[in-house]
Amino acid sequence: MRNRKGRSPELKVGLKYCGGCRAGYHRVAAVERIRERLGDKIEFVSSDCVDCDFVLVVTGCATACVDTASFKGRPIRYIKSEDDVERFITEATGN
Amino acid sequence: MSKLMNAKEYEESLRKLNLQVYMFGRKVANPVDDPIIRPSMNAVAMTYELAHRPEYEDLMTTTSHLTGKKINRFCHIHQSTTDLLKKSKMGRLLGFKTGCCFQRCVGMDAMNALSIVTYNIDKKYGTRYYTRFIEYLKYVQENDFVCDGAMTDPKGDRSLAPHQQKDPDLFVHVVEERKDGIVVSGAKAHQTGAVNSHEIIIMPTITMRAEDKDYAVAFALPSDAPGITYIMGRQSCDTRKIEGMTIDRGNMHYGGHEALVVLDKVFVPWDRVFMYKEYDFTTQLVESFAAYHRQSYACKVGVGDVLIGATQVVAEYNGADRASHVKDKIVEMNHLNETLYCGCIACASEGHREPSGTYLVDVLLANIHKHNVTRFPYQIARLAQDIAGGLMVTLPSAADLASPEVGRWVEKYFKGKSDIPTEHRMRILRLIENLTLGTAAVGYLTESMHGAGSPQAQRIMISRLVNMEGKKTTAKELCGIEKGDHLS
Ligand SMILES: Cc1cc2nc3c(=O)[nH]c(=O)nc-3n(C[C@H](O)[C@H](O)[C@H](O)COP(=O)(O)OP(=O)(O)OC[C@H]3O[C@@H](n4cnc5c(N)ncnc54)[C@H](O)[C@@H]3O)c2cc1C
Repeated sequence: MRNRKGRSPELKVGLKYCGGCRAGYHRVAAVERIRERLGDKIEFVSSDCVDCDFVLVVTGCATACVDTASFKGRPIRYIKSEDDVERFITEATGN
Repeated sequence: MSKLMNAKEYEESLRKLNLQVYMFGRKVANPVDDPIIRPSMNAVAMTYELAHRPEYEDLMTTTSHLTGKKINRFCHIHQSTTDLLKKSKMGRLLGFKTGCCFQRCVGMDAMNALSIVTYNIDKKYGTRYYTRFIEYLKYVQENDFVCDGAMTDPKGDRSLAPHQQKDPDLFVHVVEERKDGIVVSGAKAHQTGAVNSHEIIIMPTITMRAEDKDYAVAFALPSDAPGITYIMGRQSCDTRKIEGMTIDRGNMHYGGHEALVVLDKVFVPWDRVFMYKEYDFTTQLVESFAAYHRQSYACKVGVGDVLIGATQVVAEYNGADRASHVKDKIVEMNHLNETLYCGCIACASEGHREPSGTYLVDVLLANIHKHNVTRFPYQIARLAQDIAGGLMVTLPSAADLASPEVGRWVEKYFKGKSDIPTEHRMRILRLIENLTLGTAAVGYLTESMHGAGSPQAQRIMISRLVNMEGKKTTAKELCGIEKGDHLS
């Protein structure tokens, strides 16, 4: 899989949201921010994708009631707050 | 793959129905495009739209336990407490997204109740209602239908049983039994979303005794079956939707509706009959439906979120948001709203499995939740009106704002903070009016009071379900009237 510039992204990430019943932050905007800040480094794909590096589960609160049964055996990472968004970006960019 | 309709497909599916709808004394030729009805269709359409959005699908969709296919949660039979929890969360989400009643919960509640009771009737009488019901459920799931859950009869003289009423049609009843089915007459009152539904599921409204066995019937009908007529209920401020300008509507896009559904000698084939004169199961059906439906008032939390947001905005527009009593009242509104949320989460997480495999909420806690709902939205609305100021009921119309003669006075004298356009202040005040006394107050207030049963219905359940003997015994033990297994 190649991105717009023809390079392979460093991270291919399956994206899964919770249902967002009382999200403490804007989950879709948070993912957009990650996409913008990481640029070519990341590519979001459907959470069904079997060859992605991990599934990123974006939940509106710490309860994280999202159904992850279908990701069994695959690495999962969580974003549950704005702070987690920044942490995720920092780790991915290394700064 | 079953059909998981989107909003547009849902709208198109309604156009195919041949509903007999009356409003303001006239037949409505095209309910879907009628400006008074359409906002309610938009609200139901949201239940379809969000099912296709990745950021909501975890709540809005699930897997059918019958077919293994992905379905809209509104067509699902709860298979776990997680399902029950997600139902509560979905209700809050949709109330928040629409700011009104989105009408689809009542059919889901009827189907879940029937999945329990048809099984239990079969166990006792060797009937085949459960198999029939499951076939019907598959049909609903495959087509992603909206079902109207129709329980409430007009009831006539409340002091009389159905068979004692002067007019036998005041409760839905069987008027003829045929080889291929039954013929029924009567009506169902206050039917939420009836005209936006593909199907109607009819259930008895109270416990029936042997003398009332002709009234102990449950069945499903296509919403456009011959003999069904809908008479739209009117809502306060409803005609603002046809005035042409949007400000005075309050909620620009969404609303609810209720209708009187008249069944005039309607034929029901046997494969759609789920209870037939087994009057000894009417209590179970009424109580399990009521428990589910009382849980469903999770939606009021989402509508409460909108009202709280609107109140904060108007406080800011008025320049009053920094006043300590205003801040405190907003905290109070949130406290009441989140307390409501606790109830619908609690009754779901304490749910249990019934013999049919369906999960039912904790009935006591569902009744507690709904009883809170009969009160807290009124308190929240009172605080919203307090903070909004009197303008929410004395504000001139959108047409006055647009008037070449007086518009400038409206603009000038209804300005709050100087950097906020007067129009914005008018819009937010109209939304608060809509929620607390306009079309949406039908759902946010009076439905909170009477929908899923008036307050007394919950108090009766609470008094029946609490373990009063246990409480008395422990009290007696602790003060030494009785001996117990206590320390020291
Ligand atoms: C907005 C809205 C939406 C609704 N949606 C639906 C729906 O989709 N499907 C559905 O089936 N129903 C629906 N309902 C109906 C709802 O369940 C009923 O309103 C409720 O059960 C109360 O019935 P009622 O309105 O006939 O009031 P009543 O039964 O007349 O009650 C009025 C008062 O009289 C008291 N009372 C009544 N009978 C007796 C008695 N025998 N003894 C002592 N006191 C009595 C009650 O406790 C209450 O205080 C809806 C109602 C509303 C307001």
